[in-house]
Amino acid sequence: MAILLSAIPAILVGFLLAMTDFPGRWIVIAVFNALMAVPTVVIGLTLYLLLSRSGPFGEMHLLFSQPAMVIGQILLCFPVLVCMSHAAFQGIDRRAWETARTLGAHCARASVTLACEARFALLAALLAGFSRIISEVGCSMMVGGNILGYSRNIPTAIALETSKGEFAQGIALGFVLLLLALVLNFALASVRGKGQLV
Amino acid sequence: MGLELTVDNLVKRFGTRELFAIEQLQVREGESVHLKGENGVGKTTLMKIMAGLEKPCSGTVIVTPKQRRWWSGRIHPDVIYLHQTPYVFMSKVIDNVAYGLKLRGGSRQNIKIKVKQALVWARLEHLAEQPAHSLSGGERQRLALARAWILAPRLLFLDEPTANLDRHSVSTVAELVSQLLKQGTTIMVSSHQSNRVTELCTRHLLLEGGALHEGVHHENMPHEIDSMMEPQRYAQH
Repeated sequence: MAILLSAIPAILVGFLLAMTDFPGRWIVIAVFNALMAVPTVVIGLTLYLLLSRSGPFGEMHLLFSQPAMVIGQILLCFPVLVCMSHAAFQGIDRRAWETARTLGAHCARASVTLACEARFALLAALLAGFSRIISEVGCSMMVGGNILGYSRNIPTAIALETSKGEFAQGIALGFVLLLLALVLNFALASVRGKGQLV
Repeated sequence: MGLELTVDNLVKRFGTRELFAIEQLQVREGESVHLKGENGVGKTTLMKIMAGLEKPCSGTVIVTPKQRRWWSGRIHPDVIYLHQTPYVFMSKVIDNVAYGLKLRGGSRQNIKIKVKQALVWARLEHLAEQPAHSLSGGERQRLALARAWILAPRLLFLDEPTANLDRHSVSTVAELVSQLLKQGTTIMVSSHQSNRVTELCTRHLLLEGGALHEGVHHENMPHEIDSMMEPQRYAQH
């Protein structure tokens, strides 16, 4: 859910950062780069303070809910998606944009062409964003509350099982996550491999 | 009404360095222009500005009759610029050729027929299903020409179309350009030396020292360049 909501806006931001020049552009890039390294518990803590009853968004009663977890996950994956899509678009030859434009593509259509040219790098960006989400515990634990059947996910469940001394259960859940990561990466590698042949 | 491109008081600077300042230039329909000049004088930049792909620091480029659609910005639909080293999209040759035509719309059948004609015209029909990235330099240049030909441009900018091509590829490209000229396409070719393609041109411009000079053409230019190049070549060994 978080990756679906953040993918298009983040890719657009990455595209704009790569293709346009405006005052303070490098500062924006540096901020997004720095945000990639922010620990998940810091994001969780910030969100907790914002969503708690005494916080500015307390009246929305979002704390310890699934929407709060999604917001936290968006905040976590957004900088990753922006930075990686920025790198993807920056790596594309300037001639691709000029060729599309001279052959009659308007700016929006030429942008889509560029996204198609960078499809594998963008796919990798999506995967990195997704990895950031599935590998985090701190934010989900703090704003989701790890409530059984409602806001508990695999990483928070592993943390809980480990704290209870249920290592076998924790390891089993860890394998599920590992399997998920392997499947996704193999799928991407397969698509990329086939794409290179076309 | 014939297509006309008018350049007025065009100035391009990079930082404090002025690349060129062109007071006046007109390119009329049916002309074939050779833009000559040494490397780095700004031939590519000038052609990109004329094609609407780059902005000048000051001055105007007007293409008449105006056919601008509100979304197309500075790019005129009848003007196409081809890079020195053409960019090919990460798809098959056939999809690259169809790119511009698909943007213009039309029935699938019509697009298919025109793409086939373009591939035959550029002698690329045997490579239609090949990935465009696997093409050689000469084949890429032909693909770029086919991609332009299919859109029937009225003004075509060719930036060093024969650079890094072997003799056979140069003569093929020259033949295709000659056919475009016969079809009435106005052509502007940039090249720092004379070759089979520039020989097709009837008007010669020299970009030198930041200014554009009209009608400068030396038939013995290739020999001059050859004689200048020879000692350097030996000096490298």
